[in-house]
Amino acid sequence: MASPVEQFTIKPLVPIHVAGIDLSFTNSSLMMVAAVLLPATFFWFATARRTVVPGRLQSVAEILYEFIANMIRDNVGKEGMKYFPYIFTLFVFVFLGNMIGMLPYSFTFTSHIAVTAALAVAIFIVVTIIGFAKHGTHYLRMFFPHGAPLATAPILIPIELISYLSRPFSLSVRLFANMTVGHIMLKVLAGFVVALGIVGGLMPFAVVLGITVLEFFIAALQAYVFTILTCIYLNDALNMH
Amino acid sequence: MPQFDFSTFPSQILWLVITIFALYLVMTRMAIPRLAEVLDQRQKMMDDDLEQAERLKSQTEAAIAAYETALAEARAKAHAEIRAVTEAADRATAERTAEVNARLAVQIKDGETRIVKARDAALANVREVAATVAQGIVSRLAGLSLDTKRVDGAVATALKEHGR
Amino acid sequence: MTRPDETPGPDEIAARLAKVRARDNAGTTAGADGPQGRGQAGSGLGIGMRISIELVTTVAVGGALGYGLDVWWGSAPAAMVVCLLFGGAAGVSNAYRVVKGLDDSVGLGGAIARKETKEGNKSRGQSG
Repeated sequence: MASPVEQFTIKPLVPIHVAGIDLSFTNSSLMMVAAVLLPATFFWFATARRTVVPGRLQSVAEILYEFIANMIRDNVGKEGMKYFPYIFTLFVFVFLGNMIGMLPYSFTFTSHIAVTAALAVAIFIVVTIIGFAKHGTHYLRMFFPHGAPLATAPILIPIELISYLSRPFSLSVRLFANMTVGHIMLKVLAGFVVALGIVGGLMPFAVVLGITVLEFFIAALQAYVFTILTCIYLNDALNMH
Repeated sequence: MPQFDFSTFPSQILWLVITIFALYLVMTRMAIPRLAEVLDQRQKMMDDDLEQAERLKSQTEAAIAAYETALAEARAKAHAEIRAVTEAADRATAERTAEVNARLAVQIKDGETRIVKARDAALANVREVAATVAQGIVSRLAGLSLDTKRVDGAVATALKEHGR
Repeated sequence: MTRPDETPGPDEIAARLAKVRARDNAGTTAGADGPQGRGQAGSGLGIGMRISIELVTTVAVGGALGYGLDVWWGSAPAAMVVCLLFGGAAGVSNAYRVVKGLDDSVGLGGAIARKETKEGNKSRGQSG
Protein backbone atom coordinates (compact mmCIF):
# COMPACT_ATOMS: atom_id res chain seq x y z
CA MET A 1 0.00 0.00 0.00
CA ALA A 2 1.22 3.44 -0.94
CA SER A 3 1.93 5.99 1.72
CA PRO A 4 -1.06 8.24 2.43
CA VAL A 5 1.03 11.31 1.72
CA GLU A 6 2.10 10.08 -1.69
CA GLN A 7 -0.97 11.69 -3.21
CA PHE A 8 0.54 15.10 -2.44
CA THR A 9 3.68 14.44 -4.46
CA ILE A 10 4.31 17.00 -7.18
CA LYS A 11 5.32 15.35 -10.43
CA PRO A 12 6.72 17.45 -13.24
CA LEU A 13 4.86 17.00 -16.49
CA VAL A 14 6.74 19.50 -18.63
CA PRO A 15 10.13 20.22 -17.10
CA ILE A 16 11.07 23.89 -17.25
CA HIS A 17 14.23 25.17 -15.66
CA VAL A 18 15.07 28.85 -15.72
CA ALA A 19 18.38 29.96 -14.23
CA GLY A 20 18.61 26.87 -12.11
CA ILE A 21 15.11 27.33 -10.67
CA ASP A 22 12.60 24.56 -11.23
CA LEU A 23 9.51 26.14 -12.82
CA SER A 24 8.16 22.91 -14.31
CA PHE A 25 4.60 22.50 -15.36
CA THR A 26 3.47 19.92 -12.82
CA ASN A 27 0.38 17.96 -11.92
CA SER A 28 -0.38 20.81 -9.49
CA SER A 29 -0.16 23.31 -12.34
CA LEU A 30 -2.40 21.11 -14.46
CA MET A 31 -5.08 21.18 -11.79
CA MET A 32 -4.72 24.93 -11.50
CA VAL A 33 -5.26 25.22 -15.23
CA ALA A 34 -8.29 22.98 -14.80
CA ALA A 35 -9.53 25.31 -12.06
CA VAL A 36 -9.43 28.09 -14.65
CA LEU A 37 -10.82 26.20 -17.63
CA LEU A 38 -13.68 24.53 -15.75
CA PRO A 39 -15.24 27.73 -14.42
CA ALA A 40 -14.48 29.48 -17.72
CA THR A 41 -16.41 26.79 -19.61
CA PHE A 42 -19.13 26.70 -16.99
CA PHE A 43 -19.70 30.45 -16.99
CA TRP A 44 -19.47 30.55 -20.78
CA PHE A 45 -22.30 28.06 -21.17
CA ALA A 46 -24.25 29.26 -18.15
CA THR A 47 -24.38 32.80 -19.46
CA ALA A 48 -24.47 32.03 -23.19
CA ARG A 49 -28.19 32.70 -23.46
CA ARG A 50 -28.84 35.43 -20.95
CA THR A 51 -32.50 34.95 -20.27
CA VAL A 52 -34.50 36.85 -17.71
CA VAL A 53 -35.99 33.61 -16.50
CA PRO A 54 -32.79 31.64 -15.93
CA GLY A 55 -32.13 28.12 -17.03
CA ARG A 56 -30.57 25.60 -14.69
CA LEU A 57 -26.93 26.46 -15.36
CA GLN A 58 -27.63 30.16 -15.39
CA SER A 59 -29.37 30.04 -12.02
CA VAL A 60 -26.42 28.18 -10.52
CA ALA A 61 -24.10 30.90 -11.83
CA GLU A 62 -26.44 33.58 -10.51
CA ILE A 63 -26.67 31.94 -7.10
CA LEU A 64 -22.88 31.88 -6.95
CA TYR A 65 -22.71 35.54 -7.91
CA GLU A 66 -25.36 36.57 -5.39
CA PHE A 67 -23.73 34.42 -2.72
CA ILE A 68 -20.43 36.28 -2.98
CA ALA A 69 -22.16 39.64 -3.43
CA ASN A 70 -24.19 39.08 -0.26
CA MET A 71 -21.10 37.89 1.60
CA ILE A 72 -19.33 41.15 0.75
CA ARG A 73 -22.39 43.27 1.52
CA ASP A 74 -22.89 41.55 4.89
CA ASN A 75 -19.28 41.58 5.99
CA VAL A 76 -17.81 44.66 4.36
CA GLY A 77 -20.73 46.81 3.30
CA LYS A 78 -21.42 48.61 0.04
CA GLU A 79 -17.88 49.95 -0.13
CA GLY A 80 -16.54 46.44 -0.46
CA MET A 81 -18.37 45.81 -3.74
CA LYS A 82 -15.44 47.50 -5.47
CA TYR A 83 -13.42 44.37 -4.65
CA PHE A 84 -16.08 41.97 -5.84
CA PRO A 85 -14.16 40.64 -8.88
CA TYR A 86 -11.12 39.78 -6.78
CA ILE A 87 -13.08 38.03 -4.08
CA PHE A 88 -15.23 36.23 -6.61
CA THR A 89 -12.13 34.99 -8.44
CA LEU A 90 -10.55 33.95 -5.17
CA PHE A 91 -13.59 32.00 -4.08
CA VAL A 92 -14.02 30.24 -7.42
CA PHE A 93 -10.33 29.33 -7.52
CA VAL A 94 -10.15 27.95 -3.99
CA PHE A 95 -13.51 26.22 -4.28
CA LEU A 96 -12.53 24.56 -7.55
CA GLY A 97 -9.15 23.63 -6.14
CA ASN A 98 -10.77 21.92 -3.18
CA MET A 99 -13.41 20.22 -5.29
CA ILE A 100 -11.09 18.99 -8.04
CA GLY A 101 -9.09 17.36 -5.28
CA MET A 102 -12.08 15.22 -4.40
CA LEU A 103 -11.92 13.44 -7.76
CA PRO A 104 -10.05 10.16 -7.68
CA TYR A 105 -6.47 10.22 -9.01
CA SER A 106 -6.50 14.00 -9.16
CA PHE A 107 -4.41 16.40 -7.14
CA THR A 108 -5.39 19.03 -4.58
CA PHE A 109 -3.29 22.13 -5.09
CA THR A 110 -4.90 23.79 -2.05
CA SER A 111 -3.34 21.06 0.11
CA HIS A 112 0.05 22.65 -0.48
CA ILE A 113 1.23 25.28 1.94
CA ALA A 114 3.09 27.10 -0.84
CA VAL A 115 -0.19 27.81 -2.63
CA THR A 116 -2.28 28.71 0.39
CA ALA A 117 0.49 30.80 1.91
CA ALA A 118 1.03 32.67 -1.35
CA LEU A 119 -2.68 33.44 -1.52
CA ALA A 120 -2.92 34.40 2.15
CA VAL A 121 0.20 36.57 2.11
CA ALA A 122 -0.99 38.30 -1.04
CA ILE A 123 -4.37 38.96 0.62
CA PHE A 124 -2.66 40.18 3.77
CA ILE A 125 -0.37 42.55 1.90
CA VAL A 126 -3.15 43.92 -0.30
CA VAL A 127 -5.48 44.43 2.67
CA THR A 128 -2.76 46.16 4.67
CA ILE A 129 -1.96 48.42 1.71
CA ILE A 130 -5.65 49.26 1.34
CA GLY A 131 -5.81 50.06 5.04
CA PHE A 132 -2.83 52.39 4.93
CA ALA A 133 -3.95 53.96 1.66
CA LYS A 134 -7.34 54.74 3.11
CA HIS A 135 -6.45 55.75 6.64
CA GLY A 136 -2.75 56.60 6.47
CA THR A 137 -0.83 56.13 9.70
CA HIS A 138 -4.13 56.39 11.51
CA TYR A 139 -4.55 52.74 10.47
CA LEU A 140 -2.14 51.84 13.30
CA ARG A 141 -4.68 53.26 15.73
CA MET A 142 -6.60 50.04 15.16
CA PHE A 143 -4.17 48.13 17.36
CA PHE A 144 -5.09 50.11 20.42
CA PRO A 145 -8.77 50.12 21.34
CA HIS A 146 -10.50 53.43 22.05
CA GLY A 147 -11.07 54.13 25.71
CA ALA A 148 -8.69 51.49 27.02
CA PRO A 149 -6.40 52.67 29.82
CA LEU A 150 -3.08 53.91 28.44
CA ALA A 151 -1.16 51.69 30.85
CA THR A 152 -2.41 48.59 29.04
CA ALA A 153 -0.95 49.78 25.73
CA PRO A 154 2.43 48.01 26.09
CA ILE A 155 0.60 44.73 26.50
CA LEU A 156 -2.41 45.17 24.23
CA ILE A 157 -0.58 46.58 21.23
CA PRO A 158 1.91 43.69 20.84
CA ILE A 159 -0.86 41.16 21.32
CA GLU A 160 -3.08 42.77 18.69
CA LEU A 161 -0.09 43.26 16.41
CA ILE A 162 0.93 39.61 16.61
CA SER A 163 -2.68 38.64 16.18
CA TYR A 164 -2.79 40.78 13.05
CA LEU A 165 0.51 39.45 11.71
CA SER A 166 -0.56 35.88 12.28
CA ARG A 167 -3.54 36.32 9.97
CA PRO A 168 -1.91 35.13 6.75
CA PHE A 169 -0.47 32.15 8.59
CA SER A 170 -3.68 31.05 10.24
CA LEU A 171 -5.54 31.65 6.98
CA SER A 172 -3.15 29.56 4.92
CA VAL A 173 -2.52 26.90 7.55
CA ARG A 174 -6.22 26.43 8.08
CA LEU A 175 -6.93 25.72 4.42
CA PHE A 176 -3.79 23.65 3.97
CA ALA A 177 -4.33 21.60 7.13
CA ASN A 178 -7.98 20.91 6.42
CA MET A 179 -7.34 19.73 2.90
CA THR A 180 -4.28 17.69 3.83
CA VAL A 181 -5.79 16.01 6.87
CA GLY A 182 -9.03 15.27 5.05
CA HIS A 183 -7.26 13.67 2.14
CA ILE A 184 -4.94 11.63 4.33
CA MET A 185 -7.93 10.42 6.30
CA LEU A 186 -9.78 9.46 3.12
CA LYS A 187 -6.77 7.66 1.74
CA VAL A 188 -6.16 5.70 4.95
CA LEU A 189 -9.80 4.73 5.25
CA ALA A 190 -9.96 3.76 1.61
CA GLY A 191 -6.95 1.55 2.22
CA PHE A 192 -8.87 -0.09 5.07
CA VAL A 193 -11.77 -0.71 2.76
CA VAL A 194 -9.54 -2.42 0.26
CA ALA A 195 -8.03 -4.52 3.05
CA LEU A 196 -11.30 -5.27 4.78
CA GLY A 197 -13.53 -5.27 1.72
CA ILE A 198 -13.45 -9.00 1.30
CA VAL A 199 -14.04 -9.67 5.00
CA GLY A 200 -16.07 -6.78 6.38
CA GLY A 201 -18.48 -6.28 3.54
CA LEU A 202 -20.45 -3.06 3.35
CA MET A 203 -19.60 -1.48 6.70
CA PRO A 204 -16.19 0.05 5.84
CA PHE A 205 -17.54 1.15 2.49
CA ALA A 206 -20.38 3.03 4.22
CA VAL A 207 -17.88 4.71 6.51
CA VAL A 208 -15.75 5.85 3.56
CA LEU A 209 -18.85 7.10 1.81
CA GLY A 210 -19.79 9.11 4.88
CA ILE A 211 -16.28 10.54 5.19
CA THR A 212 -16.30 11.42 1.50
CA VAL A 213 -19.53 13.35 1.90
CA LEU A 214 -18.02 15.10 4.93
CA GLU A 215 -14.93 15.91 2.88
CA PHE A 216 -17.04 17.50 0.16
CA PHE A 217 -18.70 19.55 2.85
CA ILE A 218 -15.33 20.58 4.31
CA ALA A 219 -13.98 21.40 0.85
CA ALA A 220 -16.89 23.79 0.29
CA LEU A 221 -16.76 25.14 3.86
CA GLN A 222 -13.04 25.88 3.71
CA ALA A 223 -13.44 27.79 0.45
CA TYR A 224 -16.22 29.74 2.15
CA VAL A 225 -14.16 30.36 5.29
CA PHE A 226 -11.16 31.47 3.24
CA THR A 227 -13.32 33.95 1.35
CA ILE A 228 -15.28 35.24 4.32
CA LEU A 229 -12.09 35.81 6.30
CA THR A 230 -10.76 37.79 3.37
CA CYS A 231 -13.95 39.86 3.55
CA ILE A 232 -13.54 40.38 7.30
CA TYR A 233 -9.93 41.49 6.86
CA LEU A 234 -10.99 43.81 4.07
CA ASN A 235 -13.69 45.22 6.32
CA ASP A 236 -11.08 45.97 8.98
CA ALA A 237 -9.05 47.88 6.42
CA LEU A 238 -11.98 49.79 4.96
CA ASN A 239 -14.10 50.51 8.02
CA MET A 240 -11.90 51.04 11.03
CA HIS A 241 -13.70 50.63 14.29
CA MET B 1 5.68 15.34 3.42
CA PRO B 2 5.84 16.59 -0.17
CA GLN B 3 4.27 19.87 0.98
CA PHE B 4 7.53 20.91 2.59
CA ASP B 5 9.70 20.15 -0.42
CA PHE B 6 10.84 23.70 -1.00
CA SER B 7 12.24 22.93 -4.46
CA THR B 8 8.66 22.78 -5.77
CA PHE B 9 7.68 26.17 -4.33
CA PRO B 10 8.80 28.40 -7.21
CA SER B 11 6.93 26.31 -9.74
CA GLN B 12 3.78 26.22 -7.62
CA ILE B 13 3.80 29.94 -6.96
CA LEU B 14 4.57 30.80 -10.59
CA TRP B 15 1.71 28.69 -11.90
CA LEU B 16 -0.57 29.91 -9.15
CA VAL B 17 0.06 33.49 -10.22
CA ILE B 18 -0.42 32.66 -13.89
CA THR B 19 -3.61 30.67 -13.41
CA ILE B 20 -5.26 32.97 -10.90
CA PHE B 21 -4.52 35.93 -13.15
CA ALA B 22 -6.06 34.00 -16.05
CA LEU B 23 -9.10 33.21 -13.94
CA TYR B 24 -9.34 36.86 -12.92
CA LEU B 25 -9.34 37.85 -16.59
CA VAL B 26 -11.99 35.26 -17.39
CA MET B 27 -14.16 36.47 -14.54
CA THR B 28 -13.85 40.20 -15.16
CA ARG B 29 -14.04 39.99 -18.97
CA MET B 30 -16.69 37.33 -19.34
CA ALA B 31 -18.53 35.94 -16.35
CA ILE B 32 -19.09 38.97 -14.15
CA PRO B 33 -20.24 41.42 -16.88
CA ARG B 34 -22.62 38.85 -18.29
CA LEU B 35 -24.07 37.95 -14.90
CA ALA B 36 -24.27 41.58 -13.88
CA GLU B 37 -26.05 42.38 -17.11
CA VAL B 38 -28.67 39.68 -16.66
CA LEU B 39 -29.17 40.48 -13.00
CA ASP B 40 -29.49 44.19 -13.72
CA GLN B 41 -31.94 43.45 -16.46
CA ARG B 42 -34.02 41.33 -14.12
CA GLN B 43 -33.85 43.90 -11.36
CA LYS B 44 -34.94 46.59 -13.79
CA MET B 45 -37.75 44.44 -15.05
CA MET B 46 -38.92 43.73 -11.53
CA ASP B 47 -38.70 47.39 -10.66
CA ASP B 48 -40.68 48.23 -13.77
CA ASP B 49 -43.28 45.63 -12.91
CA LEU B 50 -43.51 46.90 -9.38
CA GLU B 51 -43.77 50.43 -10.60
CA GLN B 52 -46.51 49.46 -12.99
CA ALA B 53 -48.32 47.57 -10.26
CA GLU B 54 -48.05 50.57 -8.02
CA ARG B 55 -49.30 52.87 -10.77
CA LEU B 56 -52.22 50.58 -11.52
CA LYS B 57 -52.98 50.39 -7.84
CA SER B 58 -53.02 54.16 -7.49
CA GLN B 59 -55.18 54.37 -10.61
CA THR B 60 -57.58 51.87 -9.13
CA GLU B 61 -57.66 53.79 -5.92
CA ALA B 62 -58.29 57.02 -7.79
CA ALA B 63 -61.11 55.35 -9.71
CA ILE B 64 -62.61 54.04 -6.50
CA ALA B 65 -62.33 57.46 -4.92
CA ALA B 66 -63.90 59.12 -7.97
CA TYR B 67 -66.71 56.60 -7.94
CA GLU B 68 -67.31 57.20 -4.27
CA THR B 69 -67.36 60.97 -4.63
CA ALA B 70 -69.73 60.64 -7.60
CA LEU B 71 -71.94 58.40 -5.54
CA ALA B 72 -71.90 60.82 -2.64
CA GLU B 73 -72.62 63.73 -4.94
CA ALA B 74 -75.52 61.92 -6.57
CA ARG B 75 -76.89 61.06 -3.18
CA ALA B 76 -76.54 64.63 -2.00
CA LYS B 77 -78.22 65.90 -5.15
CA ALA B 78 -81.10 63.46 -4.74
CA HIS B 79 -81.52 64.57 -1.16
CA ALA B 80 -81.55 68.21 -2.20
CA GLU B 81 -84.12 67.54 -4.89
CA ILE B 82 -86.39 65.65 -2.55
CA ARG B 83 -86.17 68.46 -0.06
CA ALA B 84 -86.89 71.05 -2.74
CA VAL B 85 -89.94 69.16 -3.96
CA THR B 86 -91.21 68.65 -0.45
CA GLU B 87 -90.70 72.30 0.34
CA ALA B 88 -92.48 73.38 -2.83
CA ALA B 89 -95.39 71.12 -2.03
CA ASP B 90 -95.50 72.43 1.52
CA ARG B 91 -95.42 75.98 0.28
CA ALA B 92 -98.21 75.36 -2.23
CA THR B 93 -100.36 73.78 0.44
CA ALA B 94 -99.70 76.64 2.79
CA GLU B 95 -100.60 79.15 0.09
CA ARG B 96 -103.83 77.39 -0.73
CA THR B 97 -104.73 77.17 2.92
CA ALA B 98 -104.00 80.86 3.36
CA GLU B 99 -106.10 81.73 0.30
CA VAL B 100 -109.00 79.63 1.43
CA ASN B 101 -108.73 81.09 4.90
CA ALA B 102 -108.74 84.59 3.50
CA ARG B 103 -111.79 83.90 1.35
CA LEU B 104 -113.55 82.32 4.27
CA ALA B 105 -112.71 85.30 6.42
CA VAL B 106 -114.17 87.68 3.79
CA GLN B 107 -117.32 85.61 3.52
CA ILE B 108 -117.65 85.46 7.28
CA LYS B 109 -117.24 89.22 7.49
CA ASP B 110 -119.86 89.74 4.74
CA GLY B 111 -122.21 87.46 6.55
CA GLU B 112 -121.69 89.27 9.78
CA THR B 113 -122.33 92.68 8.25
CA ARG B 114 -125.43 91.36 6.54
CA ILE B 115 -126.67 89.97 9.81
CA VAL B 116 -125.97 93.26 11.59
CA LYS B 117 -127.83 95.17 8.89
CA ALA B 118 -130.74 92.79 9.04
CA ARG B 119 -130.87 93.08 12.80
CA ASP B 120 -130.74 96.88 12.64
CA ALA B 121 -133.50 96.89 10.08
CA ALA B 122 -135.43 94.51 12.22
CA LEU B 123 -134.88 96.67 15.24
CA ALA B 124 -136.01 99.76 13.35
CA ASN B 125 -139.14 97.94 12.28
CA VAL B 126 -139.72 96.89 15.86
CA ARG B 127 -139.68 100.52 16.95
CA GLU B 128 -142.13 101.55 14.25
CA VAL B 129 -144.43 98.65 15.02
CA ALA B 130 -144.19 99.31 18.72
CA ALA B 131 -145.08 102.99 18.19
CA THR B 132 -147.99 102.18 15.90
CA VAL B 133 -149.20 99.50 18.26
CA ALA B 134 -148.90 101.87 21.18
CA GLN B 135 -150.85 104.58 19.33
CA GLY B 136 -153.52 102.09 18.34
CA ILE B 137 -153.83 100.72 21.85
CA VAL B 138 -154.02 104.21 23.35
CA SER B 139 -156.67 105.43 20.83
CA ARG B 140 -158.71 102.30 21.23
CA LEU B 141 -158.56 102.20 25.01
CA ALA B 142 -158.56 105.83 25.91
CA GLY B 143 -159.80 107.40 22.73
CA LEU B 144 -156.91 109.62 22.77
CA SER B 145 -154.92 110.50 19.85
CA LEU B 146 -151.35 110.67 20.89
CA ASP B 147 -148.72 112.78 19.45
CA THR B 148 -146.44 110.58 17.34
CA LYS B 149 -143.40 112.19 18.76
CA ARG B 150 -144.26 111.37 22.32
CA VAL B 151 -145.02 107.80 21.46
CA ASP B 152 -141.71 107.38 19.73
CA GLY B 153 -139.97 108.79 22.77
CA ALA B 154 -141.77 106.42 25.08
CA VAL B 155 -140.94 103.43 22.88
CA ALA B 156 -137.30 104.42 22.84
CA THR B 157 -137.32 104.70 26.62
CA ALA B 158 -139.00 101.36 26.98
CA LEU B 159 -136.59 99.71 24.61
CA LYS B 160 -133.73 101.24 26.52
CA GLU B 161 -135.13 99.85 29.71
CA HIS B 162 -135.16 96.44 28.12
CA GLY B 163 -131.61 96.85 27.24
CA ARG B 164 -132.05 97.55 23.64
CA MET C 1 -49.67 31.36 -4.36
CA THR C 2 -52.93 32.83 -5.53
CA ARG C 3 -55.26 31.12 -7.87
CA PRO C 4 -56.15 33.14 -10.93
CA ASP C 5 -59.86 33.09 -10.17
CA GLU C 6 -59.29 34.92 -6.91
CA THR C 7 -58.85 38.55 -7.72
CA PRO C 8 -57.02 40.19 -4.82
CA GLY C 9 -58.51 43.31 -3.36
CA PRO C 10 -56.70 46.64 -3.48
CA ASP C 11 -55.75 46.38 0.19
CA GLU C 12 -54.15 43.02 -0.41
CA ILE C 13 -52.29 44.34 -3.44
CA ALA C 14 -51.05 47.27 -1.38
CA ALA C 15 -49.88 44.92 1.35
CA ARG C 16 -48.08 42.73 -1.16
CA LEU C 17 -46.40 45.69 -2.82
CA ALA C 18 -45.26 47.00 0.55
CA LYS C 19 -43.86 43.58 1.37
CA VAL C 20 -41.92 43.36 -1.88
CA ARG C 21 -40.58 46.89 -1.46
CA ALA C 22 -39.48 46.12 2.08
CA ARG C 23 -37.68 43.02 0.88
CA ASP C 24 -35.97 44.98 -1.89
CA ASN C 25 -34.79 47.63 0.52
CA ALA C 26 -33.64 45.04 3.01
CA GLY C 27 -31.62 43.48 0.24
CA THR C 28 -29.83 46.70 -0.58
CA THR C 29 -29.23 48.14 2.85
CA ALA C 30 -28.63 45.07 4.98
CA GLY C 31 -25.20 44.87 6.48
CA ALA C 32 -24.32 48.41 5.55
CA ASP C 33 -23.30 48.88 9.15
CA GLY C 34 -20.40 46.49 9.00
CA PRO C 35 -19.61 42.92 9.82
CA GLN C 36 -22.17 40.49 11.04
CA GLY C 37 -19.56 38.23 12.53
CA ARG C 38 -21.30 35.14 11.41
CA GLY C 39 -20.17 32.22 13.52
CA GLN C 40 -18.55 29.65 11.34
CA ALA C 41 -20.42 26.45 11.38
CA GLY C 42 -18.20 23.71 12.54
CA SER C 43 -18.03 20.41 14.20
CA GLY C 44 -16.05 19.83 17.37
CA LEU C 45 -13.20 18.67 15.17
CA GLY C 46 -13.33 21.86 13.15
CA ILE C 47 -13.26 24.07 16.24
CA GLY C 48 -10.46 22.04 17.77
CA MET C 49 -8.46 22.35 14.58
CA ARG C 50 -9.06 26.10 14.42
CA ILE C 51 -7.98 26.59 18.04
CA SER C 52 -4.82 24.59 17.57
CA ILE C 53 -4.01 26.46 14.37
CA GLU C 54 -4.58 29.82 16.07
CA LEU C 55 -2.36 28.86 19.01
CA VAL C 56 0.41 27.47 16.84
CA THR C 57 0.46 30.29 14.30
CA THR C 58 0.39 33.13 16.82
CA VAL C 59 3.14 31.55 18.91
CA ALA C 60 5.14 30.91 15.75
CA VAL C 61 4.65 34.49 14.58
CA GLY C 62 5.60 35.75 18.02
CA GLY C 63 8.71 33.58 18.02
CA ALA C 64 9.69 34.69 14.52
CA LEU C 65 9.17 38.34 15.43
CA GLY C 66 11.23 37.89 18.59
CA TYR C 67 13.98 36.14 16.67
CA GLY C 68 14.05 38.93 14.13
CA LEU C 69 14.24 41.60 16.81
CA ASP C 70 16.98 39.68 18.61
CA VAL C 71 19.04 39.50 15.43
CA TRP C 72 18.44 43.20 14.81
CA TRP C 73 19.17 44.40 18.34
CA GLY C 74 21.58 41.62 19.32
CA SER C 75 19.52 41.14 22.45
CA ALA C 76 19.06 37.38 22.34
CA PRO C 77 17.09 35.89 23.90
CA ALA C 78 15.17 38.73 25.59
CA ALA C 79 12.98 39.81 22.64
CA MET C 80 12.34 36.18 21.76
CA VAL C 81 11.03 35.42 25.24
CA VAL C 82 8.85 38.52 25.41
CA CYS C 83 7.45 38.01 21.92
CA LEU C 84 6.74 34.35 22.56
CA LEU C 85 4.74 35.38 25.61
CA PHE C 86 2.83 37.95 23.58
CA GLY C 87 2.32 35.38 20.85
CA GLY C 88 0.89 32.99 23.39
CA ALA C 89 -1.40 35.69 24.70
CA ALA C 90 -2.53 36.53 21.17
CA GLY C 91 -3.14 32.83 20.55
CA VAL C 92 -5.26 32.58 23.69
CA SER C 93 -7.23 35.68 22.73
CA ASN C 94 -7.82 34.28 19.23
CA ALA C 95 -8.80 30.90 20.64
CA TYR C 96 -11.17 32.72 23.00
CA ARG C 97 -12.76 34.33 19.96
CA VAL C 98 -13.22 30.96 18.31
CA VAL C 99 -14.84 29.49 21.40
CA LYS C 100 -17.10 32.49 22.01
CA GLY C 101 -18.02 32.85 18.35
CA LEU C 102 -16.73 36.41 18.12
CA ASP C 103 -15.83 38.00 14.81
CA ASP C 104 -12.30 37.89 13.50
CA SER C 105 -11.68 41.60 13.07
CA VAL C 106 -8.87 43.41 14.82
CA GLY C 107 -9.38 44.14 18.52
CA LEU C 108 -10.70 41.58 20.98
CA GLY C 109 -12.45 44.22 23.08
CA GLY C 110 -14.22 45.55 20.02
CA ALA C 111 -15.28 42.06 19.01
CA ILE C 112 -16.75 41.42 22.46
CA ALA C 113 -18.53 44.77 22.43
CA ARG C 114 -19.98 44.11 18.98
CA LYS C 115 -21.22 40.71 19.99
CA GLU C 116 -22.77 42.12 23.15
CA THR C 117 -24.54 44.93 21.31
CA LYS C 118 -25.76 42.44 18.73
CA GLU C 119 -27.13 40.14 21.40
CA GLY C 120 -28.53 43.11 23.26
CA ASN C 121 -30.36 44.11 20.12
CA LYS C 122 -31.57 40.59 19.67
CA SER C 123 -32.91 40.23 23.20
CA ARG C 124 -34.48 43.68 23.01
CA GLY C 125 -36.06 42.69 19.73
CA GLN C 126 -37.49 39.57 21.30
CA SER C 127 -38.91 41.32 24.33
CA GLY C 128 -40.20 44.38 22.53
